[in-house]
Amino acid sequence: MSTWLHRLNPSIKMLVTFVFIFALAFYFDPWTPLFVFIAVLVVQLLFSRINWKRWALLMLPFSLGAVGYFWTTYVFGTSDDRLETALSLSFRVFAFSSLSLLFVLTTSPMQFIMSVMQQLKLSPKLAYSLLVGYQFLPVLKDEFIQIRQVQQLRKPQVQKSTLAKLRALPSVAIPLLAGAVRKAEKTAFAMEARGFTGTRDRTYFHEVRLERFDLYFSVVLIVIFTSCLVVGATL
Amino acid sequence: MLANWKLKEVVLMSLLAVVFGIIYLVFLHIGNIWSSLIGPIAYEWIFGVWFLVSIVAMAIIRKPGAAVVPEVMAAAIEVMLGNAVGPRLILAGLVQGLGAEAAFAATRYRRFDLPVLIMAGVGASLFSFAYGYLLGGFSALSPWYVALMLGIRILSGAVIAGYGGSLIVNGLYATGSLRGYAIARQKRDVRV
Repeated sequence: MSTWLHRLNPSIKMLVTFVFIFALAFYFDPWTPLFVFIAVLVVQLLFSRINWKRWALLMLPFSLGAVGYFWTTYVFGTSDDRLETALSLSFRVFAFSSLSLLFVLTTSPMQFIMSVMQQLKLSPKLAYSLLVGYQFLPVLKDEFIQIRQVQQLRKPQVQKSTLAKLRALPSVAIPLLAGAVRKAEKTAFAMEARGFTGTRDRTYFHEVRLERFDLYFSVVLIVIFTSCLVVGATL
Repeated sequence: MLANWKLKEVVLMSLLAVVFGIIYLVFLHIGNIWSSLIGPIAYEWIFGVWFLVSIVAMAIIRKPGAAVVPEVMAAAIEVMLGNAVGPRLILAGLVQGLGAEAAFAATRYRRFDLPVLIMAGVGASLFSFAYGYLLGGFSALSPWYVALMLGIRILSGAVIAGYGGSLIVNGLYATGSLRGYAIARQKRDVRV
């Protein structure tokens, strides 16, 4: 039971989070988003094994944003009960963020793209290109460090203020992007040389299937979250 | 649309999406921390940053879809890296990308000079604001405050995404690495 969220088909998981994020956009009372937030926490606790430290770390910046939302709505709001709306909008931030983490922390990037390609019919040309880009992340990171070190050698910067660092960013970004452009050409050539056509009539090494489990479990999730919305609407 | 895209163009979009996806994430956190102090308006100043990849990719590749697809890819990369905005970023990316795409489509993909790039930044601002209005619950705020937010976002889209994007593209073009793409072919033909 504690791995159900991890097992759920990523496309289905994504669609479920989309539906409830959009549904929440129409609620301006404080209770509904709060209920959804609590429900998400319970679901996350029951059906997944995640690193809660990482969860808290990812939630932190958005909790700060929620504070800003609260006072902005309180000061600049127009509704009759501004405190209620302000609370609602900041709880909405919590509900959105937790729903997103429900997806992000239980889905592997590879499975996600494979599922979008196989269930939602994303073109393999786009899907595999995206995975190529993802694989280049560590390479680009190394290159970023290297470019900065080289520039330090050629023209050492004495001042280390944040503003000076920001101003130096374009001189790092251009060589980094130029390297990325060259990598793109080489990689595309290598892929085509190995017979990659990008057409849909292909086989998959990593097959992601839709199973009966996906149906049952997504219904469970939908029932849980919908009941929050219904209870919130009747309050 | 996909059929007349070369693979190297699609891979380029993806690599641009990775570079800008990381930049987007950094600015997302800057925006978050700042917004605890001055509220959601904190994002508006820097919103143009999130439209950059559309403009840069379109200016290089110059084919229908080259604005919207990289923006969605950058959003997907952000999701894959993991953050609490999650899959809804993909929708946001789609909406922003369509906004930028609309400006290029209006010129029938014939002009890619600075005014059009700035219009693409403005288009992305308008589209993304409509999306933010719904999800962010801006309707609860007073109209002049919302108008102020919109004004700053349009300015940010025009300056950071439009003008900044053109600076990046010109800098990149000067390195000579874009030789195999539409931007180099068209600049060569136009050259007097």
